[in-house]
Amino acid sequence: MNHHRNNQILLQTCPHLSDFKSKHGTKPFRVLQKCLRVKPLGRAEIRRDPNELRRCISCTTTESSSSTRLRFLACVACAAVSCNSHAAGHAESRESGHEIAVDVDRAELYCCVCRDQVYDREFDGSVVLAQAESSTLGVPNTKNPIESPRKRRRVEYRPWSSDPREQVLMTRGSSPLQSGDGYPWGLRGLNNLGNTCFMNSVLQALLHTPPIRNYFLSDRHNRYVCELKKANNNNTHNNNVVLVNGCNNNQSVRLCLACDMDAMFSAVYSGDRTPYSPAKLLYSWWQHAANLASYEQQDAHEFFISMLDGIHEKVDKDRGKPQSQGNGDCCIAHKVFSGILRSDVTCTACGYTSTTYDPCVDISLDLDPNYGSSTKTSSTKSHHTFNGETADRPQSTLMGCLERFTRPERLGSAEKFFCQQCQIRQESLKQMSLKKLPLVLCFHIKRFEHSNTRKMPMSRKVDRYLQFPFSLDMSSYISSSILRGRFGNRIFAFGGDEKDISPSELPSNFELFALVTHSGKLEAGHYVTYLRLDNQWYKCDDAWITQVNENIVRAAQAYMMFYVQKTLYYKVSENLTTS
Amino acid sequence: MSMANDDNTPSLSQMSSNIFGDLLDSIIVDVSSECHRIARLGLDRNLEEEEEELRLSTQARARVADPSNNGETNTKSVVDIFGQTPPAVASEIFECMNCGRSTVAGRFAPHLEKCMGKVRKARLKATRSSTASQNRYSRESPVSTYSPYSSSNRIANGGTPVSGEDYRDGSFEEL
Repeated sequence: MNHHRNNQILLQTCPHLSDFKSKHGTKPFRVLQKCLRVKPLGRAEIRRDPNELRRCISCTTTESSSSTRLRFLACVACAAVSCNSHAAGHAESRESGHEIAVDVDRAELYCCVCRDQVYDREFDGSVVLAQAESSTLGVPNTKNPIESPRKRRRVEYRPWSSDPREQVLMTRGSSPLQSGDGYPWGLRGLNNLGNTCFMNSVLQALLHTPPIRNYFLSDRHNRYVCELKKANNNNTHNNNVVLVNGCNNNQSVRLCLACDMDAMFSAVYSGDRTPYSPAKLLYSWWQHAANLASYEQQDAHEFFISMLDGIHEKVDKDRGKPQSQGNGDCCIAHKVFSGILRSDVTCTACGYTSTTYDPCVDISLDLDPNYGSSTKTSSTKSHHTFNGETADRPQSTLMGCLERFTRPERLGSAEKFFCQQCQIRQESLKQMSLKKLPLVLCFHIKRFEHSNTRKMPMSRKVDRYLQFPFSLDMSSYISSSILRGRFGNRIFAFGGDEKDISPSELPSNFELFALVTHSGKLEAGHYVTYLRLDNQWYKCDDAWITQVNENIVRAAQAYMMFYVQKTLYYKVSENLTTS
Repeated sequence: MSMANDDNTPSLSQMSSNIFGDLLDSIIVDVSSECHRIARLGLDRNLEEEEEELRLSTQARARVADPSNNGETNTKSVVDIFGQTPPAVASEIFECMNCGRSTVAGRFAPHLEKCMGKVRKARLKATRSSTASQNRYSRESPVSTYSPYSSSNRIANGGTPVSGEDYRDGSFEEL
């Protein structure tokens, strides 16, 4: 009956409500608005007198104590209160115009004829405004500080296909780019240079991150004309290099991680399939991340962050002025991976909410801490149930982690927050949400636990399986959805919802294209990356590239997951032109 | 529960039971009202797609666990899709960009560590703290601020490196 296109709400009201509105307009709702009472963090209710007692006009005294009476419904036209059993009777007993009532305890509209809850945009708007006022926050969709100054005008997506004349032109003037061996371009093993699988695994993911791949293959950072390297060559002292005794005096320091990436892209996409050694990149990276430079196993996630940092720093130096990472204009790394996290801290006493925004290049998620203490593996048990849930141990899922990440968390009494409104420290609720989704979402699963006892810091790895989807819908975790949930899921433009987004343009749908897995123990483990190219999965285990079935990937132990916005994910077309 | 009195007023326990029942009903209606709204407004995401993904994962795990299926063999000895059989230790030879010496790819990292003179510095730095690396990246990514492979962890539990030479006794040569 009601359609929904992802975030867009299309509402079909019942005929009685539309009738009522066409007759009376929104005036009755505004009258109700005056009676709306909201407790901070609580439900909105309709109440004229704070001490009034709810009573159904039709219930007899014996019925008053029965429990068939579930709701009190106040007629919007005449304010008569009936219980749900007698509401239809009230509508019938009067002439038309008394069909619509409101559940006084929940501020929900009810149609007495349809005997069902109904929804209305204007009514919801009034409720939201009342809720906002009660916490004197002002209207929820206040101008947000991260308003992108150049809000790009959205153009309706129209798929293009060639007409016969154009097809002739294209086939005559070109030949499709087919790799000689039939395998996708850019598929090439990376040599392990000595415990460098942590680096290789992340590089494979970056090599196939669509916007990054496109950036380097479009020659956007040309290593032969890189300004930064030229500038570095002129410097006698480069403070990024930690060298001893001038080992490096036979060549000037050429340090630009983006140039090394460019070289790697050229090599990996050249069509040559013999494994490539990212030696120069390792060398440059060790100069950039001096404290991580040692011959031992490192953490892939740490390397990933370090690489993004390196690309950013190198490019940024050139410009000379610090750029906000939030809008991603500083460098390709942030343009692709940078999103914005919103953090709301709400005072539990008065409802006042303080909001902060922080850029982030990835999302680190905890596995469920309260998982059962059973040591049995559940891989064989889970196939008994439909959705992977066993009676005692529900499966850990990525969406479950995200739900935990965005759920309101009560800050303990030790962490009381200073409320601007109350002017004292109060207990508060904290809630995270995603204000802006990046082009590519990187999830990092915290599988390495540390406990810091005084004697010996211990670390262990959590091997628990985590379910993750190949297609991911992030719409429940973005700020507008989270805000809406906080206000009772009312129909309202929270966070500047754009109502005219066509479904194909929605940025909250993502596709998985790379998975980094870790196997083994914390000190002696091995990283492997699975890549999804042309809807076929490939396992990239250092120099060894093999083709694998998608089941292997689904069953693998996820450590880092790379999702790209669906609109940027090219699907293989079935009809490749043949010459 | 005590019996009702002779007159029509319910007993105390009956009244409290009624109140409890009312409260419980009220909570149930709260939840159903919220769910109704979510369902009607289409806010309940794409449950079918989610369930399908869960089902596929469960199925995949069952298939992979089944020993009769073609399990993943040790890929190190297997031919890759291009028909190559790379050796366990990468054998490509190139020049070290720091010192100019010819090095074998698979041993490049330990060589580079010596050659760049990083070893002593790296170990010393590591004992000082791993929080330095945490803070370094925390400004970029506030939600990822830890270093699971910090060297201090390694030193504390005295783990040996996976492979390669051990420099802990300091008996290496600086170039």
